[in-house]
This record gives sequence, structure tokens and C-alpha cells, in this order.
Amino acid sequence: MKRIATFALGLAALLSLAGCNFGKGPDFSFVSGSENTVIQPIVEEFCKSKNATCTFKYEGTLDIGLALQSDNGVEQDAVWPASSVWVDMFDTKRRVKNLTSIAQTPVILGVRKSKAEALGWVGKPVFMKDILAAVQAGKLKFLMTSATQSNSGASAYLAMLSSALGNKPVIEPGDLKDANVQNTVKALLSGVERSSGSSGWLADLFVDSAKRGTLFDAMWNYEAVLKETNDKLSGMSQEPLYAIYPADGVAIADSPLGFVDHGRGAEVQTFFNDLLAFLKTPDIQKRIAATGRRIPLTDVAAPTEPLWNFDPKKLVTAIRMPEPQVIREALTLYQAALRKPSLTALCLDFSGSMSGAGVDQLKQAMRFLLTPEESSRVLVQWSPADRILVIPFDGSTRQPREASGDPLEQEGLLNSVLGEQPNGGTDMYACADLAMQRIARTPNVGNYLPAIVIMTDGRSDDRSALFLNRLNASRLRVPIFGITFGDADKTQLDGLAEATSARVFNGGSDLAAAFRTVRGYN
Amino acid sequence: MAISRRAFGVGLLATGAVGTGGYLAVKDRPELQGLLGNRLNLFGFIGGEKEAFLADPDVVRALGSRGLTIQSRVAGSVEMVREQALLSQKPQFLWPSSSIMVDIARQNGVRIRDDRVVLNTPIVIYSWQPVADGLMQVGLVTRTGAGHYQLDLKALLEAIVAGTDWSKLGVNMLYGRSRIVSTDPNRSNSGFMFAGLVLSLLSGNLATSEALAQFGPKAQAIFRNMGFKSPSSGKLFEQYLAGGIGGEPMIVGYENQLVEWILADRARWDRIMSGSGAKPVMLYPRPTVYSAHPLIVIDEQSHRLMDALTTSALQQLAWEKHGFRGPLGTPTGNLDSAIAGMLPADIDAVLPMPDAGTMLPLLDLLAK
Repeated sequence: MKRIATFALGLAALLSLAGCNFGKGPDFSFVSGSENTVIQPIVEEFCKSKNATCTFKYEGTLDIGLALQSDNGVEQDAVWPASSVWVDMFDTKRRVKNLTSIAQTPVILGVRKSKAEALGWVGKPVFMKDILAAVQAGKLKFLMTSATQSNSGASAYLAMLSSALGNKPVIEPGDLKDANVQNTVKALLSGVERSSGSSGWLADLFVDSAKRGTLFDAMWNYEAVLKETNDKLSGMSQEPLYAIYPADGVAIADSPLGFVDHGRGAEVQTFFNDLLAFLKTPDIQKRIAATGRRIPLTDVAAPTEPLWNFDPKKLVTAIRMPEPQVIREALTLYQAALRKPSLTALCLDFSGSMSGAGVDQLKQAMRFLLTPEESSRVLVQWSPADRILVIPFDGSTRQPREASGDPLEQEGLLNSVLGEQPNGGTDMYACADLAMQRIARTPNVGNYLPAIVIMTDGRSDDRSALFLNRLNASRLRVPIFGITFGDADKTQLDGLAEATSARVFNGGSDLAAAFRTVRGYN
Repeated sequence: MAISRRAFGVGLLATGAVGTGGYLAVKDRPELQGLLGNRLNLFGFIGGEKEAFLADPDVVRALGSRGLTIQSRVAGSVEMVREQALLSQKPQFLWPSSSIMVDIARQNGVRIRDDRVVLNTPIVIYSWQPVADGLMQVGLVTRTGAGHYQLDLKALLEAIVAGTDWSKLGVNMLYGRSRIVSTDPNRSNSGFMFAGLVLSLLSGNLATSEALAQFGPKAQAIFRNMGFKSPSSGKLFEQYLAGGIGGEPMIVGYENQLVEWILADRARWDRIMSGSGAKPVMLYPRPTVYSAHPLIVIDEQSHRLMDALTTSALQQLAWEKHGFRGPLGTPTGNLDSAIAGMLPADIDAVLPMPDAGTMLPLLDLLAK
């Protein structure tokens, strides 16, 4: 009898442990837009409750789209882009299942409060034409992600196009050829002061710059990201970004989470379904809403903040999304003609250590970057209005070559790069210095988005102190991006990127991909 | 229509068998086929709006007791009757969402052994209370004595074609031009049916090829103004709920979609109704069209599915849990009274769909 009782107790203990999910849950991976970083802890709580190991990878909209479109599809078990438009456009093989909107957040313009006051925008409906007038009068510049690489930039851009069309019901193919529409949107985009491939990074740029005393005027971003940004600014006793909801319509991100079935069995699918159900429970919705996201058909919302015009319950009119083909044409038009031209200096490491695979990869990457048919496939092609400066370097700079983005001129640049051979030491500071000088000498430099991109595989002679002194003395603000290759010393590139509010990318496995990404920031 | 001669015959046989012996009785009673291990797996394509119905454990059980296991794959109604990539997978049945698909299937060489409408649901317009209130002010929407909203769809379409702003339609909270969105008529049935309805309304009568020549361009303009059109009715409905009044002020859907959504989570619905936000509203166009759901039997054995689906048990589940009306367009059970009150017992103004000879060229026009 005693034995039976012990057995029963043991069994009960086992069963209760099973009820607590003692068993190991699945490994589950997400690929998501950067705006969801703030939601990750909520998802991780769920993963923990299921004893599952969850991993997150943050990528831009275009990267997620291209992966969906590729033959292999995305590696992850779930996709969580900013907007379902991109899934509809890129998931042509229909691999994404149960795509479900988790929250909504419109893409709006945050303007530094004092600036908004000076422009007379506080407490009034503001239309896109008012924004245009401010840009044209030289009273407003803004940060905005690249429309071809990131959803928030694409959303702002489509809202600009819609408005320029006089708010006809939807953008149709012929509309994009209208010269007036093109000129209006081009004028609006001339207000871009910095760009990026990631909405989250753009918001960090705003906050980090504010910390260092550099105040940007404004930023296009998600309403929820503006809330995050303002929470940080308020902690630094900085003035907030005043929310401008363009009255003639904005694009709304619907943050859809979808399952990608890799045939890993019912357990994985069930885990996903349970996660969706978890994210829809009232308590969790309340927490998601607290981040400034809108949860439709519920009464949960973050409190309004009249100080900066934040009101997640405020009705915003959405622009109608055009047909996918029209979106594609619009993005091409953005990249090829309407965006603010870039002025890019490419510092390319041709030191001796690049011999062999390094130089092969670098030349391959340049073939991609300077061949319009290739770069246009991922919407990072140059336009004839762009200026490209190529400076090969080793222990000192070699002969710089400059060209426009005209296809023939690109070809000339490419040929000259292909002729370079690896040799000598490494001094990236010499190259950065020369790039700065050349950029400063460019006529009408204000009409361009300038950037320096340093690609290196090694450790440079350390002339950082001298260079940074000169940089600080110059009034020109040029971000210096880095691309590492092989066993490059990242700290030196990090130092430059940090000093100039830029970013370092790992070119380790794929240099071409790194150059492509950096183009999204310029 | 409700009971076919064949089903009636089976019933008679079953009745006669009762006296002959227990075994025979079980053998001949279709609802007990499952007990005998007389199992039949059937594979076919279904419209996505019936996915939840066929996945419902009660439905699976009811079909299982008749020895039926259904392996269905979701496909667009239009594509399942004409895409060789799907037809070459040798489906034993097709279950699209419009009677006209039977004709189109036949034209595409599908060997149809039998077809019968087993479920119905009218096309409705989903909107939001403030929009409905505005449209009532300008006379485009009227409220019946029973509290249902009827929409003068023809007048609304004319207003949309004319580029009328929301504010002119009594909806001051929305900026810009009025609009309505359906699914892609070339891929999804609700958009397809809406296209037929639009053409008929524009021409003032059941649309014919002549009407297409005259009013096709206007119908085309209405669909062009929609911009991006979702490939499936389920997706559009989700988009409507998620987008709210600012994102999706008016969409085309099936009556049963909201019912099914409410029944899936009653507490959620109660929260919405007691909350302060805009509430979903169903507008019944006058006239509307019925989305009929004909089961197309390709393999003789699929008759057993047809018989099962027309039994009162499954018809009752279809209405009470998923909001589908029966073959005659009437309720086939009792819904919880709060929801039943939202739905008129009869839809009194129904247009037939234009024939395939009109619809197929209309689809081509809308694809341009």
C-alpha cells in the first residue's frame, strides 16, 4: 500500500511538472524589423514559459522581403516586418502563414518642439504642403530612413507622393511620370539631413546626437518610436519631438507576425499559434499598448501626452496602398531620381594583407556596387546626380578618382578599381582625411547627403587623435561608416563611426552585402 | 433542394433496415459508418472562408462519425476551377464560393458528376458606426425596423466614382475621398462577386455582355481606385479589423465572417461593444448577391461528403458556429440571440450573378 502511495505521489509530481512545461520547448527564431526590439522582452517571457529558446534577428524591410522572395526563403520560423505590404509584395511563393497584425503605428513627423512652435504648427492641423513650404524656406530638415530599404522611409515617401497627387484615391502607374509630382516630392526629400536603413538606428542617432549637443530638427518615424525617443529625451531633460500627424493622410504600419513552416513538426506550429494567442490576451495587449502602439478594437492605449501632441487614440486617415507594381515603380523612382543625391567617398583598403581572397571579394563587391543592373536589383543603384569618390589606400592614399552615378562614369570607376593591386601598409586615417578635404571642396555640398565609407581588413597606423582633432575643427558633419573584413580591428572603425554618428558593418562573410547595407544609410 | 432524391433514397433504405437486424442498420446508416471502420479519405480544394468550418472539431467529429476524413487545401475559388496546376492534383471535390464556378469548371473540362449548393452567405459591406451614421444622414444608409442597416450601394458607387469626399457623405472625421475596398476579383471570390454586383448595379439590371461593353470602364475605375487588393477574403477582413476606421473605412466581405469572428471569442466582442472605440457595422447592400458554396463532386465517392454536409446536424453547426446560411439562404439553427439580432432572417433583395460569359471578360478587364 505504501509503495502504491509513493508511486502515486511520484506520478502526481511528474504530471504537475509536465503541466509546468518541464519538457524542453522548441528552438524558435524570428526575423523582425528593428522597431520590435522593445517588444522582444514580452515575447521572451512567453518563450521562457514554454522552455523554448527564442532568437531574434533584426533586419530592414527590404532584407526581409528579399529573403522571402529568394529560392531558399527565410531561415527563421517567424517573420515580423513592419508592414504586411512587404509580405504581400515579396512572398510570391506564399510561404508565410497565419500572418496576423499585432499592433498598429502610423509613420509621422516628429519635430523638435521649439521648432514646431516657430513654424506655427502647435495645436493646428499640418498638411504635407506645410512641411514642403518649411523645407523650401530652409526652415526644416529631417532624418528619414531610406525608402527603398526601410518601411518607415517608404511610408513617409508614399504619403508624400499621395499628397503631391492632390490626394486622389490611390497612386496609379501613370501618376509617377507627372513632372509636378516628381518636383514636389523631390523638394520634400531635399529636407533629408541623415538617412539610414533602420528606423531603430535612426531614433538612436537622434538621441545620441542630442546627448552630444547636436540637435536635429525633426525625424520621420513610427508614432511608437517617437514615444520611445521622447521618453529618452525627457530623461536627458531635452525638449521632445512634437508629433505632426500630416492631416492629408499617412501610412500605417500593421506589424504583422507570420509563421514560416520549415516542416519542423506540429510542436513548432503549435508554439507559434500559442504565441499569437498570448500576444492577444488583454494583459499583454495592455503592455504592448504601453509602448505607444495602437491596439485596435480595444480600450487599451498609452496615456496621451499633450506636451508633444501624442495621442494613440487620435484617428489618422491612412493613405491607400497602391498596387505592388506601383510601389515597385515608386521605389525605383525614389532611388533613381527623387531622393537627395549622395556624395560618397569610398576608402578601399588595398594593403598587402588584402592579397588573395580579400582583393577578389573587394573587386567583386565593387562590381556589384558600380554595375547598375546589379545594384538596381536591390534598389541601391546610383543616380546621375550622385557623386562617387573612390580612394584606394595602403600606407598612404593612392590616386583618387571621382565620377557621377551616370552608368558610363560608373564603368570607368569600376575599371580603375579593378586595376588596383594589393601592396604596402595600412593608413585609413590618411584616406579619411583626403575624403574629408575633397567633400569639403565640393560645390553646393549642402545639396548632397555626404558620407565616407572605409573598408579595411587590418589595423591602421594609429593617427586617430590627429584626425579627430581636424574633424572636430571642421564645420562639416560627415558620417564615417566602416566595413570590416577578415580580422580587421573593429575598434578603430568604431571610434570614427562613434565620433561621426555613423555605424560599422561586418563585411566578414559577404563584402557586397555590407556595401549594399551601407548604401541604405547614404 | 434541401434533400436530394438520392439522399431521400438512402434515408428510406436506412428506415427499412431497422427491422432487419442491428448490423445491417449500422451498415446502412451513414452517420454510423465511422463505427464500422468504413473510412473514406477525400481530398479537395476549398475557399478559405470555409477553412475554419472544416477545421472545427465538432465538424470533424460529425464527418468522422460518417467515416469521412477531409483533406482540404485552401485555394482561391476562381483559381481552383481553372488552374491546371491545381486540377492536375486530382482533387476529388471542389468547394468554391460561387455557383458560377460550376460553369467555369465545366468550361475548363472538369468532369463534374454532381454539384449542389450546400451553404450560402450574402455579400455585405463592413464599415464602422461613425461611417454608417454619416451615410444615414445623407440617405445612403437606412435602418430597418429590426435594426439592420441597408445600403444604397449603387448611389455609393456613383459617389465614389465622382470622387466625393467623405465629408460630403456625412463622415467628417475622415479626410479625403470616399472609398470602398474588396479583394482581388481575379484571385478571390468575394471580390469576384462584388465585381459582378458592381457591373449589374451600374447597368441597372442583371449585367450582360452588352452591359460590360457600356459600363465595364466604370467598373474598372472603381477597382483601380482600390489600389492594393488583398488576395483573400480572410486577409481583407483581418486588415479591416486591424486597420480600424482610419485604415479601412469600408470593405467588402461575407456576412458570416463577422459572425464567425464574434463566436471565436465572445469575451472579445463584449469588450468591443462596451468599449469607447468605433464599432464594426455590417451594411447590407440592396440588392446584394449571394455567395453560394456549391460542392462539386468529381470523384463519385465525394457524394458521401455532399450528403453529410446537407444533414441537419452539419447545417446546424454551419449556422450556429460559423454563420453560414443553408442552401435556401435561411438560418438552419438557433444563434445566440444577441448575434441573431444582428442578422436579418431573410435577405429580401438578391440579384443573381451575371453569367460566366460576362464575368470572365470582366475579370480580364479588371486585371488590366
